[in-house]
Amino acid sequence: MAAALSAVVSAKLGCPPAAALGSWKGSRISSRNLVSMKTMTARRGLVSLRSPRFRVFCAAKAETVGKVMQIVKQQLALGEEAKLAPESQFTELGADSLDTVEIVMALEEEFGITVEEDNAQSITTIQDAADLIDKLVAGGGGKPPAAA
Amino acid sequence: MASRSKLSGIQRQVLALYRGFLRTARLKSPEERHRIESVVSAEFRENARNIDRKNFVYIEYLLRRGKKQLEQLKDPDITGLSTLEINKVYKPLNLK
Repeated sequence: MAAALSAVVSAKLGCPPAAALGSWKGSRISSRNLVSMKTMTARRGLVSLRSPRFRVFCAAKAETVGKVMQIVKQQLALGEEAKLAPESQFTELGADSLDTVEIVMALEEEFGITVEEDNAQSITTIQDAADLIDKLVAGGGGKPPAAA
Repeated sequence: MASRSKLSGIQRQVLALYRGFLRTARLKSPEERHRIESVVSAEFRENARNIDRKNFVYIEYLLRRGKKQLEQLKDPDITGLSTLEINKVYKPLNLK
């Protein structure tokens, strides 16, 4: 089922399967997609072509997901060879709620954003974190954390 | 997306306090920040392991004490580490 869906999405978007799967997950919340795509279009002068826009969107999403995975590995002291998936839950990786707070704080610093309390508590997977980060970065919804 | 069971109000307060300490630590020098983060993390985790989650009276006491310590830590002239250590040493005396 997941594999078939991934194949279908991949075919339509012209993206690598991994990125396509991430995109499919993200598409559940249309407002986030709309915000991200609008910003990218305005920023890079893309016009109506569907495929290039989706490709850029997927690439950005994959980059964010990759960075999130890297930070999660560091925070939880997982080996570099640990295999994470976008839908991995922090609790599956051995994180308790204090660890999750630390992960969100580390992500704030990495991406120069501020995550509000309620948003922070709704993050349970790597994809959740990446979606919120892209939304905040694109929307300018956060302010940089206070300088150290 | 899968969602975690809803956190209780008191759990949210604890996590919010923890976030507050980590945010304030960012304002200190890198060395001091590292020390503060280590002490705060150790104390929160020790309490998480040792305190009965239904002991609301004690948890609320710790939350009040923690908020006072956090306010003190926000003072630019205070590093906070020694304060935390002193309180840690004398904690047993506060138990009635």
